[in-house]
Amino acid sequence: MWFHAVRTEESVRAEQPARVVRESPARVKARRLLGTTKEVFSRGSTAVGAVVIVLLLGMAIFAPLIMPANPRGAYQMPRDLSAVAVPPGTEGHLLGTTRMGGDVLYGIVWGARLSLQLSIYVVAGAVIIGIIVGSTAGIVGGKVDAVLMRIVDVFLSIPTLVFPLAIAAVLGPSFANIVVALAVIMWARYARIVRSQILQVREEDYVDAARAIGDSRFGIIRRDILPNSFTPVAVQATLDMGHAVLLGATLAFIGLAVAGQAEWGTLVSEGQADIIAGRWWTSTFPGLMVFLWALSFNLVGDGLRDALDPRTEGR
Amino acid sequence: MHRYIGRRLLGLPLVIIMVSVLVFALTRIGGTPIGPYLEPGMTDEEIAALEERFNLDEPLPMQYLAWLGGVVQGDLGWSAVAAAPVVDVFRQRIPASFELGAFAALWAVTLGVGLGTFAARRRNRMGDQVAGVMAVGGASMPTFWLGIVLLIIFWSYLGWFPHGRSSPEIWAGIPHPTGFYTIDALLAGSLAAMKDALWHLVLPALTLGYAAVGIVTRMMRSSLLEEMGKDYVDAARARGLPENLVVRRHARRNAFIPTITVIGLSIGIMFEGTVVVETIFGWPGLGSWMASSVLSGDQGTTLAFVIFTSVLFVTINMAVDVIYGYLDRRVVLRKT
Repeated sequence: MWFHAVRTEESVRAEQPARVVRESPARVKARRLLGTTKEVFSRGSTAVGAVVIVLLLGMAIFAPLIMPANPRGAYQMPRDLSAVAVPPGTEGHLLGTTRMGGDVLYGIVWGARLSLQLSIYVVAGAVIIGIIVGSTAGIVGGKVDAVLMRIVDVFLSIPTLVFPLAIAAVLGPSFANIVVALAVIMWARYARIVRSQILQVREEDYVDAARAIGDSRFGIIRRDILPNSFTPVAVQATLDMGHAVLLGATLAFIGLAVAGQAEWGTLVSEGQADIIAGRWWTSTFPGLMVFLWALSFNLVGDGLRDALDPRTEGR
Repeated sequence: MHRYIGRRLLGLPLVIIMVSVLVFALTRIGGTPIGPYLEPGMTDEEIAALEERFNLDEPLPMQYLAWLGGVVQGDLGWSAVAAAPVVDVFRQRIPASFELGAFAALWAVTLGVGLGTFAARRRNRMGDQVAGVMAVGGASMPTFWLGIVLLIIFWSYLGWFPHGRSSPEIWAGIPHPTGFYTIDALLAGSLAAMKDALWHLVLPALTLGYAAVGIVTRMMRSSLLEEMGKDYVDAARARGLPENLVVRRHARRNAFIPTITVIGLSIGIMFEGTVVVETIFGWPGLGSWMASSVLSGDQGTTLAFVIFTSVLFVTINMAVDVIYGYLDRRVVLRKT
């Protein structure tokens, strides 16, 4: 009824508490971050993926504590000649040994450390190249932009397994060459992300403001543009942490890593010969680790993207 | 439309030329191109003739042009592994790979479209979640591991499926005019050969197609969900059409259009996957040849394979864009 809508001065005062919340910017930031984190991990699959990632990273970081390093080289598979090709559950060899007497569990634990290194080097390399190329293209514009983006197009359209395979083959089998080969193929996506963010962000008022108060180009990139590109780059980097290990293990499986190393793909490859003898464990466990690694980073990456990118909502 | 296709066709050589420059640069990082031709006991004159053939005395750009000229004329170099010209080995091994790829694509697309439809209709219910897990699993599954696990279970333990491409005695029993085992078996009218061919195809095709199942399922699900929320679907329902018909005749046909894009993409991925899958299953196609070439440092083969795959990738991408434009009339193909 109409008279209910009448507001006295007093009732208005009662409705609107004159309390002004004063919070430091740092606290507001922290609260927002917490909210986002909660949103990201509220989905079951993302949370599971995050837990698996923590476990895998723990295994990688604390590898020397879990399995004492092989004195002949930490990433070299140790050889226990008194227990060659024993099945899982044998005393001292929980997951069995290879036909060379290498402990499968040792390979898994130290393989995690190698995988962590591989993914960090590859993703860091790809992100750095991508940021340099992408921001150059976005800021300089014109012909430079056109040429750089054509190059990016080429790198996005070439095969993601065969090309690194050829690079690694030409450079010779080694861990470092696998890293180089993968970084060379992965940077293009970051270049595209950073460039498109720049094109978006530079139309914003606050960038105009920064320019107006005389900020240098480099300062604008560093303070305004890069922080805004952070989210899509972080999502892509999370996904690529998984892809890098998956592709790296595939290259190693084909034979481009150093033989006898505690590397998951190499172990699967060397375990191939065991299948016919019925020794399933030498290839099954290391391959399972590659799967878990790629799966957990994919789950978290997808979760991040869905939570942070409103465009993919509901998909 | 036609102008767009023309433009894309013009852009195609540009990408291929850039890939070829990259590939050529790789060959030169890898060392002298005459390596595979060298034999012990060659005289200085013979080596000089080889160097002359590759124009090693000329500047790099000229060497590149000479090499490109050879590639255009079908001279992809010499395969040290097969001890034959690369082109000959390509011709001989392509059917095995294409046959494998075709069967992998067949089951991947069928299952992917089916699962995607299933998941979209049971949105956020059990079935949807299972399909979602399968899709992410497909993207994270190391092909080499899946193949090996399948081999351990179905070949080593159960003995249900064989290893390799054929049983030699059955393979030798029929003529091979096409090189496609299943087609040859059909032409020869041999039931035993057909059965043998299909039996050998099951595990490798399953392995090769699995990654694509996930990709296709995801895309099919999300595009079908999008279509199902549109007015024309409500209109069809309001006219009293049964739900099945609404999904199959109306929504799914439109949802299929964006899915075609990822199907094209997965065909490229599958072609790459043959390197791993053929190695595991002892399949005598291009992929296993590539893998052994890489390991033995046979650059002629490696680079020919890279060029071939890149051209295939770029062509498929273009074909998919054009098909997309034809199917979806709302897409206006113009300068990007």
